[in-house]
Amino acid sequence: MTSQLYRLVYHSRNFISGTPEQVSVEVNKILESSQRNNLLIDVTGALIFNAGMFAQVLEGARNDLEATFERIQRDERHGEVEILAFDEASSRGFPSWSMGFVGHSCGDKELFTHIGEGSGFEAKRLEGEHVFRVMRDLAIAEETRAA
Amino acid sequence: MQIATSTTPICDDQKSLHREPDLAHTEHEAALSLTALNSLNRAVAVIGPENGILYKNRAFDELFGGGELSPHLRECLNSLARGTENLESCETAFDDGRTLRIETMNLPDGLLVSAEDISKRVAELAQSAEQARTDPLTLLGNRRMFRERLRDLMANLDPAQDTAAVLSIDLDRFKAINDTLGHSVGDALLRSVASRLKSVVRREDVVARLGGDEFAVIQSGGPQPNSAAALAKRLVDLLGRSYIIDGNLLNIGASVGVALIPTDGVDDDEILKNADLALYRSKQDGRRTFRFFENSMDEQMQARRCLEIDLRRALAMRELKLVYQPQITLSTKQVTGFEALLRWQCPKRGLVAPAEFMPLAEEIGVIVQIGEWMIRTACREAVGWQQPLSVSVNVSAVQIASLTLLPVIRAVLAETGLDPGRLELEITESVLMKDHAVTLDMLQEIRSLGVRVSMDDFGTGYSSLASLRSFPFHKIRIDQSFVRGDPDDPGNIAIVRAIAALGRALGMTTTAEGVDTEGQLARVIADGCTDVQGYLISGPLNPELIEDFLHLRDGRADAAAA
Repeated sequence: MTSQLYRLVYHSRNFISGTPEQVSVEVNKILESSQRNNLLIDVTGALIFNAGMFAQVLEGARNDLEATFERIQRDERHGEVEILAFDEASSRGFPSWSMGFVGHSCGDKELFTHIGEGSGFEAKRLEGEHVFRVMRDLAIAEETRAA
Repeated sequence: MQIATSTTPICDDQKSLHREPDLAHTEHEAALSLTALNSLNRAVAVIGPENGILYKNRAFDELFGGGELSPHLRECLNSLARGTENLESCETAFDDGRTLRIETMNLPDGLLVSAEDISKRVAELAQSAEQARTDPLTLLGNRRMFRERLRDLMANLDPAQDTAAVLSIDLDRFKAINDTLGHSVGDALLRSVASRLKSVVRREDVVARLGGDEFAVIQSGGPQPNSAAALAKRLVDLLGRSYIIDGNLLNIGASVGVALIPTDGVDDDEILKNADLALYRSKQDGRRTFRFFENSMDEQMQARRCLEIDLRRALAMRELKLVYQPQITLSTKQVTGFEALLRWQCPKRGLVAPAEFMPLAEEIGVIVQIGEWMIRTACREAVGWQQPLSVSVNVSAVQIASLTLLPVIRAVLAETGLDPGRLELEITESVLMKDHAVTLDMLQEIRSLGVRVSMDDFGTGYSSLASLRSFPFHKIRIDQSFVRGDPDDPGNIAIVRAIAALGRALGMTTTAEGVDTEGQLARVIADGCTDVQGYLISGPLNPELIEDFLHLRDGRADAAAA
C-alpha cells in the first residue's frame, strides 16, 4: 500500500547545555535514536544543528510523520518548536539515508552564514520550502565531503 | 461414608418422601440423594472433626483438587465454623487467582460445606467498577476515580511528614478547535493531551480527565512544592507545544493551578477548590502559566462573589442611576448635550465607581442588561428635558457583540418618542477591532435610524486612522488623560492637536474630556478642539438638577451679554 508522501519542516531551540563536546554527544544520541525509530516506519529526512537551533526535515506517510512529530515534541532537549512547512510532496528529497547530521564539520559556520545574520540561525524568517532546499544542499555537500 | 438425613437446603424435596417411611424406601432415598449430590455442579462436602472429609462430591474435587483440605481452605472453614449463625458464608481469593464463595451450615455430624467459583462475576464487577471510573475517550481516570483516590490519599496521609499536590489543568482555546475543526479532531486532540500528560507523570501519580478540557493530576511523593512546580512548568510547556492531528496543525495552551496537600485544604473538596482558584488566577495572569494557591486568592474570590451577588441585586432593586455631565460647544459656549454616566448607590457599599464593578459585570454578562437599562433610562429622562439637548451613552463591546443593541435602540426610541438625533452612542476603538464587518454593518444601521455614533477615548488605544476612516463618526472624544496630563509635555499637545486637526479634516466634532481648569480650557481651544466637557463646566449632575443648571447658565450668559 502506498500512501501520500508528506514533508514536515520545523525548527526549534536547542535546550542542551554543556560544553561543545557534551552537546555534540547529545546531538549524536538524538540522531541515532531518530535513525533507529524512523527506519522502522520509513520516515526519512535530515537534521541540522547550529548555534543553538535545530532544523529538521521529515518525509514519509502522514500518519508516520504525525507520530514522529509527537515523539519529537515530547523531547525535553529542545523547545519553541515552530513548524515551517507541512505539505504533500511529490518525491523524497532525502531518499537514500534515513537521517543525516550536517552540523559537525568545522565548515558548518561558513555553511550557515548565508542563512542567518550573526550567530543565530534565523530559520524563522525562511519559508519551509527554502529551508528544505538549503538543508538538502547542505546534506549533499556533507555527503560529498565525507566520501 | 455417612450422610445426615436432617433437612438441608440441598435435599429439601426429600421432606415429601418422609410421609411413608420404610427401610427400603429410606435406602432408596439415601442412594438417590447421593446420586443427586454427586451430579451437582456445585461443590459440596461434609467435614468432620479435625478437618476430616466425611463426604465430598465430584465438583468439590474439581474445585479444590483431590486429597486433604488445603491450608487456606481449612483456615476459611475454621473461621466460618466460629460464626454465630447456622448458615455462614464468605468470599475468598485463592493464591491461584480464583475467587470462591464458600457457604457452611452446621449439621449434627459435621460441617456442610458448599462452594462455587465466582471469579468471573468478580472480574465482571471489577471491570464495570473500572469502567465507572474511566473516561472512555482518553482512558484516563474520570472525576469519580480522581475524587476517590484523592480522598484515600488524604485519609492515609501522615500530615507530619507526607506531602502531595493536586494540579488542576485547563486547555486554552480548545473550544475554538472543537468548533472550527469538529468533534473528531477535538477528541483526537484530547487523546493526545492525555497521552502527553501520562508521559510526564510518575507511575504512582494519578491522572484524570475531569470533563471537557479539564484535567487533573495527584502528585504524591517527591519534595513539595518543588516537585509540583517542576511538573506544572513541564506541563505548561509540553501541553502547549503544537500538535499535528489528521493533517491539522493545532496550537493550544495549558494553564495550571496547584494546591498542596495537606497545607491547602482539610479535605478533597477544599483541595480541588483551591487548585481551581489557582488555575483561575493563572488564566487571569495571561494563561500558559501556572500558579500555586494562596489564601488571598480565596479572599479575593469571596469578595468577587459578594460583589456579584450585590450587583445582580442592584439591577433588580434599581440601585443603579444615571448622572449627566454637560458638554459645551466652544464657538457659542452653549450646552449641546449631556453624557450619561452610570452610578451604583449600594445600600451596603455606598457609592461604587463603575471601574470597580464594570469588569465584573462584563465577566458575568450582566453588562448587556446594564447597557440596555442605560439606553432606556437616558432616553426616558432626556425626553423630559425642556430643551432638545443630546444625550450620549457608552456602549460596550460585549453589548455590540450580543447583537441585541439595534432592536433595543429601536424599541426604546419608539417607547420614549425621543428624537433619534438627540441620542448619541459612544463606542471605543476596541469595538471596531472585533468582527469588523459585522460591527460596521450594525453601526451603519444604527446611524440610519438617525442616531449619532461617536468615537470615545480616542488616543489611548490603537488610535488607528483606519478606525476613524472606516465609519462616519459624528464626534471624536479625546481622552481626558491628554487634557489633564502635563501641560508642558509636547507629546500631549501634539496628540490633542493632531486629533483636532483630523476631526476638522474629516468633518467630525472633537470633544476634549476632563477640562477642569481655565488653563486646560485655554489649551484645548488653542489646540483646535470644538467642544469640551469637564469639571470647569460642571461635574456630573443628578437628573433633577439639570433644569436648574441650564437655567443658571442661561442667566449668566444673558448677564454676560447685557
